[in-house]
Amino acid sequence: MTDVKTPPAEPEAAAQPPTKPIAWPLGLAGVVLAVVGSFLSWSYDDRILGDLSLNFYPGGLQILAIIVAVLALILLLAERGPLTRLGSWLDATLGLRVLGAGLVLYMALVLVAISTDSNGLINVNPGGYVCLVGAVLLAVSAWMLPLRQLRDMSEAKLPGWAEILAIAVLMAAVLFVAAYALGLQDAWSFVLCLIFIAVVAVALFRTGTLTWIGHVSQRHRKVLTLAAFVVAFLFPFTQNGSDANMSIANQVLIFGATAMGLNIVVGLAGLLDLGYIAFLGAGAYTAAVLSNSAFATVGWKPPFLVVMLVGSAVAATFGLIIGTPTLRVSGDYLAIVTLGFGEIFRFSMGNLDGNNGPNLTNGPNGIPGIPDLELFGFNFGDEHTVAGIDLGRFSNYYFLLLVLIGFVILVFARLNDSRIGRGWVAIREDEKAAEAMGVNVFGLKLLAFAIGAFLAGLAGTIKAHQDAAVSPDQYQFIESAFLLAAIVLGGMGTIAGVLLGATILKLLPEKLRFFSEYRLLMFGLLLVLMMRFRPEGLVASRRRQLEFHEEDEQLAVAVEEERLVVEEAK
Amino acid sequence: MTVTDAQRSPARTGQPVLEASGVTMRFGGLLAVNDVNLTVREGEIVGLIGPNGAGKTTFFNCLTGLYKPTGGQVRFAGTPRKPKRPKKRKKGQPIQVEAVPVQPLGALTPLSPKPRAVVRAGMARTFQNIRLFANMTALENVMVGRYCRTSAGALTSVLHGPKFRREEAATRARAQELLEFVGLGRSTEHLARNMPYGDQRRLEIARALATDPKLILLDEPTAGMNPQETRQASDLIFKIRDSGLSVVVIEHDMRFIFNLCDRVLCLVRGEALIEGTPTEVQSDPRVIEAYIGTGEDDDEDDVDVQDAHVQDTTIADEENRS
Repeated sequence: MTDVKTPPAEPEAAAQPPTKPIAWPLGLAGVVLAVVGSFLSWSYDDRILGDLSLNFYPGGLQILAIIVAVLALILLLAERGPLTRLGSWLDATLGLRVLGAGLVLYMALVLVAISTDSNGLINVNPGGYVCLVGAVLLAVSAWMLPLRQLRDMSEAKLPGWAEILAIAVLMAAVLFVAAYALGLQDAWSFVLCLIFIAVVAVALFRTGTLTWIGHVSQRHRKVLTLAAFVVAFLFPFTQNGSDANMSIANQVLIFGATAMGLNIVVGLAGLLDLGYIAFLGAGAYTAAVLSNSAFATVGWKPPFLVVMLVGSAVAATFGLIIGTPTLRVSGDYLAIVTLGFGEIFRFSMGNLDGNNGPNLTNGPNGIPGIPDLELFGFNFGDEHTVAGIDLGRFSNYYFLLLVLIGFVILVFARLNDSRIGRGWVAIREDEKAAEAMGVNVFGLKLLAFAIGAFLAGLAGTIKAHQDAAVSPDQYQFIESAFLLAAIVLGGMGTIAGVLLGATILKLLPEKLRFFSEYRLLMFGLLLVLMMRFRPEGLVASRRRQLEFHEEDEQLAVAVEEERLVVEEAK
Repeated sequence: MTVTDAQRSPARTGQPVLEASGVTMRFGGLLAVNDVNLTVREGEIVGLIGPNGAGKTTFFNCLTGLYKPTGGQVRFAGTPRKPKRPKKRKKGQPIQVEAVPVQPLGALTPLSPKPRAVVRAGMARTFQNIRLFANMTALENVMVGRYCRTSAGALTSVLHGPKFRREEAATRARAQELLEFVGLGRSTEHLARNMPYGDQRRLEIARALATDPKLILLDEPTAGMNPQETRQASDLIFKIRDSGLSVVVIEHDMRFIFNLCDRVLCLVRGEALIEGTPTEVQSDPRVIEAYIGTGEDDDEDDVDVQDAHVQDTTIADEENRS
């Protein structure tokens, strides 16, 4: 963003609190100390947090500290120095405050981690303290720097290739950080890495960079989508044939695809469904009984493409059966009925064991030993090597799931942007008026239910083969609750938000085993806080944001201006 | 007051579009609408007046299927089997943009009391207290109105099939055209909730027009408007009528109603008091009585009706809400 084409801003507005002259040099000193400290040894013990014990050979966590310091340096130079033109666009001071405070928190936690992992603060080497002092200096200086008047981000335009390059760089950064974070073995390192990600993300948000990225992605939507999928596609190649992370990634993808399906029901049609996991189960059980497993109870063994269709059709039929009588009630009643349906499904699967009714599911034992998929002569259990990198069984499924989630996203986005999507919005806004305008309210609700169920069933058929087994206890109520939590946390009705929510909710318990006992408590707390402070979710859909803030006139005007800018850009 | 509006042309009395006979609506012990008859002919503007609580909006709700009337029948000139095909344009002939294309009327058939069936049959309405989709843009609001005249399903929407693309483009163009028709061509991308009050009223009319109605029911289209906006509203209603639609208007503004309507029906306490031309209704002593109570020594001048309206509109908003 360094060569912004439009002329630089006017000098800052006249009314400014007096700047303390010491602030800027102090910040610079903080940055230098933080960098120098990161090159020195942090810990006497070389077995913890990766290896942080060597001088002039920074370990992973030290490099993260250096990255934060370098970002701070860029913002300082934007404040005063060679990058002031950049500074007229970016809210450098706010960003510096975030980076300063974040680095202090980061270093403090590093010291805590070193002292808990290796018996006391005595094991902290000088580098850690130097870095902490640098961080404190940076934070102090950032709070002394003045805030500035800024120009509108929507006017910041670069040549097209540069904007696409920015997207590519961002995506590459996402890939590297994701691979690095997943590669961390111990919990402390992972927590510290999360804090690093959060600090950088908040700093980007506060400086306005994220707003700019938002505008850029509006202008290059296709490029962004393509880049996101390329990054996702490249992810297995960063794992060196290790299946541990790929297994987690697959779980995230299945969970994400299912959450996206539920997002159609909850986020678009505005219906509360608490038994959605049953549709995933319906697909998985269908795939299981039609598979080549020795325990499969049905003699028919169709090819997998047929199984996919059958499984999702079964799930969609369940959706229609449960929807037809219940969608005439609304709100809480619907939630209770769907919750009941989810439980009925689980108990039925647990009881269809030959003792009570036909033997379809082997009861509580489920159907194990589902063989790997074979599509077009390619067996998903085989390992193979591409460009010298081993791709194992989970990587194979990963690519298939990637196609699946791409399909689900496509369905979601295109329905949202169609006559049907407009009907759903109208129903959410004012059901009576929608009906009086000729919108088929009942039909559209039922359609949302059926499509949601269809997509979940589709995901279920793949899940059955990926897990190699199905059993009733995989489809408990708590799973439905987590799906819903992913949507609420990420942002109802958005794609990026729900994927983010699904990733957070699935990834954290996997990586932070010590935390898994408290995960319900934590997520409950998180949801309460979200409802209080940001009910529209982490990534807010504009329309949802407006619905949640009906009194906020400023927001409405801002959203409208944003729309007008987008329209003009077209 | 004499009716001297230049725009007023003699009603082209066509065949009846709507025929409500003996419509009765009872809520428990309350008889809200009692045995009301109303016939609306093609190209006619009918006014519906009456003091607060007379049952005007309830009658509207019975007509549009929001309420299921406890008695009586609503018959509507249903859509003919085959819609008229657009004639092929000759070369060089300019495109005839018909803002509100009107299809020939079929025979009167009983109307099922479901809002969607009513809209599909060709009767659209606006609401007394504006019920727009507040967080959608003006264009999107009107596009929702097109919902019942389009049929692209989920599959073609996901695949972006030819039908989806054709319908989507047509819907967008038609919505834009209707917004220009009601005079909102410049605010297509504005959020409905950000629009000024008068514009919201007009947007609601555009949304109703988007359903391709033959008859449009307007519930207090000028409530809360200043004289200039009221004049614009009456121009708009004439424009709608001139494009071949029939209009039924509920209104408290007597000057507005008597200027506008070909016929006026006055409801009092749920019953039809009088139906006739504006002049007839205007000079009927019972109407004046209904509005301002039993006659003192007021001479029966329509100025009194005007005064009555002033008092009336102040509490108009508190009238029964649908």
